[in-house]
Amino acid sequence: MGKFMRQLQYQVFLIPILIIYTLFTIYPLIRSFMLSLTNFNGYSKNYDFIGLKNYVRLFADNAIVSGISFTILFALATTVLVTLLAIPLALILDQNFFSKNVLRAVFFFPSIPSGLLLAFIWGFIFAPIPSGILNTFLRESFGMSAQPWLSDPVLAKISTIVVAVWATTGWHAVIYLAFLQSISKDFFEAAAIDGASKWQQIRYITIPLLAPAMTVSVLLLITNGLKVYEIPFALTNGGPGFETHTITQVIVLRGISEAQFGLASAISVIFFLIVLVIGFVQFSLMQKREERMQ
Amino acid sequence: MIGSKRKLWILDVLMLPFGLLTFFPFYIIIVNTFKSELETATKPISLPSSWNFSNYARVFEETPILRSFGNSLFLTVTAVILMVLIGAMAAYPIVYNRTRVNRVIMGYLLLGFMVPFQTLLVPLFQLMTNLKLVDKLYGLTTMYLGGSVFVFFLILGYMKTIPKDLSEAAIIDGCSIWGIFWKIILPLLQPITVTCAVLQTMWIWNDFLSPMLFLSSRENTTLVLEIYKAKGEFAVNWPMFMTMTVITLAPVFVFFIAMQKQIVEGIVGGAVKG
Repeated sequence: MGKFMRQLQYQVFLIPILIIYTLFTIYPLIRSFMLSLTNFNGYSKNYDFIGLKNYVRLFADNAIVSGISFTILFALATTVLVTLLAIPLALILDQNFFSKNVLRAVFFFPSIPSGLLLAFIWGFIFAPIPSGILNTFLRESFGMSAQPWLSDPVLAKISTIVVAVWATTGWHAVIYLAFLQSISKDFFEAAAIDGASKWQQIRYITIPLLAPAMTVSVLLLITNGLKVYEIPFALTNGGPGFETHTITQVIVLRGISEAQFGLASAISVIFFLIVLVIGFVQFSLMQKREERMQ
Repeated sequence: MIGSKRKLWILDVLMLPFGLLTFFPFYIIIVNTFKSELETATKPISLPSSWNFSNYARVFEETPILRSFGNSLFLTVTAVILMVLIGAMAAYPIVYNRTRVNRVIMGYLLLGFMVPFQTLLVPLFQLMTNLKLVDKLYGLTTMYLGGSVFVFFLILGYMKTIPKDLSEAAIIDGCSIWGIFWKIILPLLQPITVTCAVLQTMWIWNDFLSPMLFLSSRENTTLVLEIYKAKGEFAVNWPMFMTMTVITLAPVFVFFIAMQKQIVEGIVGGAVKG
């Protein structure tokens, strides 16, 4: 069999992915860019090229402006809070104590179900009626009056972020834990012989060696944070007003419910650029650190 | 710290409240599945006055939960198997037939790696409508196959570590390129394919956005979508709603606790190499 024929046989393996990827990723991506420059409404065959008008309109649309700003706030807040909680949690779960296996499972639990279910469960806890669990607890324990957890602009944002942090911290602790367990015990034994205290060992050995885990965890937190949809949607439906709207919710609302394809595509393009810039920054930071280590 | 055999019981005492707090929402849904509406409204936190399973019977009688379970299972199983297969197939020529064309193809696949699904949503909605794939389970399966690219990159790194001698020896023995892939490469990929399968299962089983947009009729509902619809229907009946939630979650918890190790390895390995 000729070399060319063999190479041709190899190429057959690429056909499925090329079709799927072109049809469901590249074509829609190009189309998003194109539609963002038109006033297409999804139905009429003749639509016009309107240049950057959709991009200008973005800034006059309260839902979109709120969507972008809340999504960025959500992504940053969850990234910082989860990182600050997950690292100590992982350090503790790495110790030798009786309930460590049970606790690992308990903290991992909330990351398993769909965000939609978790948000509905928390909806019951935050319920605005006086019988809502949190309000009942606060009234019976501290005599506090009922708080509008999901209908006050500030409280709604905080509640949404709290639920997301609860849902993801255990998961990220497990990522750190996996890295912790790959660190060679020799480091600590050598340090102990040299007289380093436990705290010094954590500060000068464990934390620096956790840096690659942090790259992974932070990248996941930021990208998942930017893509957030289900938790705010199910908890507050984006309210009060547009306070907890997310970029995804705005794309679904403007693009699919209202068939403003051009406008929704412009939001998609902006969203893509935000993700791209963050991905690029993250990548270059990672490379810099690797160079420093060598 | 590490190396000491002594059990640090003080950590048990310190961590117990945090563990209870984390588990508290699950405790709430479980205890309320045994209560009447009135009892849930008046005593949501306490244990039920009697262990009554009638809510469970009602959910199976009054909602199509078994059908939704079947739909979710069909979607997840077909999409995951195909994704893993397509991803593994694509990695094979990239690793074993390193030509200039294949380097270009790899660059082309890398191009879309960072694209969030949401960016594609509006044109995808149009495309799915035009291809008449809306409200069809196999239609949604087809769309999920876009996730093959993620699988491809996870498998690619792993495949490079498989020694080339094996396939070269097989070629000398007269094995075809197809034969090598099915009989030698695919079985050797098992650790990474399991990781991929678990990660993609987690995504598809829990997905809400795509089923909400692309499945409309009652008989095509997935479990997560069923819960969403139930939330509207049983707006005031929390015990019924929580019972549905418990039934939905129970099998998934068992599966994921069993797969915890693979999930972590997948995330760690995938994110480091990708």
